[in-house]
Amino acid sequence: MNDIALSAQQVVKTFGEGETQVQAVRGVDLEVPQGEVVLIMGPSGSGKTTLLSILGAMLRPTSGRVMAAGSDITALPESKLPRFRAGTFGFVFQDFNLLGALTARENVELALNLAGVTGKPAHLRAEELLEGFGLASRLDFKPHKLSGGEKQRIALARALANRPPVILADEPTANLDSKIGHEIARLLRSAATEEQRAVVIVSHDNRLKEVADRILWLEDGAFRALESMATDPECGMSVDRLGTPHFQIDGQTYYFCSTGCREEFAAGIAAMIRGQPAKHLTAQDRCDW
Amino acid sequence: MVPVARRMLFANRRRALLGVLGVAVALVMALTLDGIFAGSTRQVSRYIDSSPADVIVSEEGVRTIHMSVSVLAGSMVETIADLPGVAWAEPILFASDSVESASGARRPSYVFGYQPGGRGGPASLVAGAEPGPGELVLDESAASELDVRVGGEVQTLGQTWRISGLTTGMTSIVNTTAYVQYEGLAELLGRQGTASYVLVGSAGDPDRVVGEIAQATGQTAQTRARFSAEERAIVREMSTDLMLIMSAAAFAVALAVIGLTLYASVLSRLRDIGVMKALGSGRARTTRLVLVQAVWTTVIALALAVALTYVIGAIVAAAAPDIDLVVEALSVVRIGITAVVISLVGAIAPLFRVWRVDPASVFRRSS
Repeated sequence: MNDIALSAQQVVKTFGEGETQVQAVRGVDLEVPQGEVVLIMGPSGSGKTTLLSILGAMLRPTSGRVMAAGSDITALPESKLPRFRAGTFGFVFQDFNLLGALTARENVELALNLAGVTGKPAHLRAEELLEGFGLASRLDFKPHKLSGGEKQRIALARALANRPPVILADEPTANLDSKIGHEIARLLRSAATEEQRAVVIVSHDNRLKEVADRILWLEDGAFRALESMATDPECGMSVDRLGTPHFQIDGQTYYFCSTGCREEFAAGIAAMIRGQPAKHLTAQDRCDW
Repeated sequence: MVPVARRMLFANRRRALLGVLGVAVALVMALTLDGIFAGSTRQVSRYIDSSPADVIVSEEGVRTIHMSVSVLAGSMVETIADLPGVAWAEPILFASDSVESASGARRPSYVFGYQPGGRGGPASLVAGAEPGPGELVLDESAASELDVRVGGEVQTLGQTWRISGLTTGMTSIVNTTAYVQYEGLAELLGRQGTASYVLVGSAGDPDRVVGEIAQATGQTAQTRARFSAEERAIVREMSTDLMLIMSAAAFAVALAVIGLTLYASVLSRLRDIGVMKALGSGRARTTRLVLVQAVWTTVIALALAVALTYVIGAIVAAAAPDIDLVVEALSVVRIGITAVVISLVGAIAPLFRVWRVDPASVFRRSS
């Protein structure tokens, strides 16, 4: 791999004070070289979005340092951050976050304008990107007339418009069907491989593991080693082997997100031994126990 | 540059239209008030403006007809007529009263005494003839209002007068104008051998004539344009406070509408503004985003308001000829500038809201 495009050193983020104090990010270290796709996974409330906001220069950490494109974001004055974001980061969001009042082309052009590119060059670059993503016939369409996949491709075109060294994607496939989700994953991969962007994806979507060079597990605001992670056989969630409910049978240990999942699993095993079908519950039912 | 502000403003056309209409209505109020005021002040100086005189002479220190009393010696007319550069000089008498019909309808009026066949009378007659003894010429609009016609009778200055003729364009929202014979009026007022003003025609440069008259007589001499301006100024000064209060009310409505329109527009686009901030829009750009929307709303509203005021002016002219609604370019510029300033003030609250938008809010899921 090449130069480090994005790095975080001992990043801590604390919200509130006194008894209401919450530490959302606890001493995170991260290095993302150019051309690498890093997938950050973790349960809801684990601090993924907070970390992404810090990495994207939208939120200042309580302590620690974040470097992007050779600059220390944490040392930059507030007034310089917007322009820095425009030139350094491309953002892809779960909800697409296209401006509803603008056409597809204008949405991409706006990102260019914010980085100081205006007029014909901006116009042509927006067209070039959208045509490259198969949206030539949708240039003048407003977002409400486009499908989810088309919207996310426009969002991706917008993210790539300024040729930023870093792409930050928040659940980029969450609102998309399997086929389109796969397409978006492929485009993110290609942004890393062909254009040498550093891509950081925060997601619950296991499909994105296919395009990731590295997968990190964030829980309680800190990265955990993936070796300590196991998959709950009942609901499919990734869980830490330490301190979670588990069940041993035939010399094998199974780990669960909750005692509900463990009891359901145990009931299934017992029913199988008795030769009876287990009572069917949804994954949500079990995890809510 | 992508015109984001304009796109955002007009994304919801109904809201934008309501906002523009609201501001336009407020500006129509301001423009109409200004127009009526301008028309009234113009009407006030109509006698002077329509006079063939180049110079008007009045008692020393008196610069207007309205709210003034001027008394000059009758011999002054000959003195002035003999001065170099003076082509002619004619005296007029002035009194202020009401014209009342037999049915009791009345209208405040200026009454001018002039020498029939001379230059101090009505600019034109639309019916009848110049006044003889005991007769007067009345404005046709006032005659219509009082329901009198040529040959009919009215009362003014405590005397009954037969209407000999009708003139036009001399009735304003405030009063009308009547013309009688000079001698008759002098006798009625007990002012034989005096004049209120002397109308002077110049054979050369009126300014030079003004200087000659002032030096020779010690009285006040003014060009017609100067006298007219003084006449309008005194009316304006008398009405300034009232106009200010009424204009302030109109602008307060405009301010509220602009503020609410922008605030509603901003509130409905907070997520978009968050996205713009996340993508790299700084404070200056987001500020511009709101201010441009404010200015757009105001400029469109102003254009609409000017057009509407012209329409109202035409309707008023047809329905109430005494009311002269004049849309002056200066008035449009003045109200336009005030409206833009007001719109920028109206943008303050939306701006504070926009500045508080957290760019990281884009990561929150929209419902």
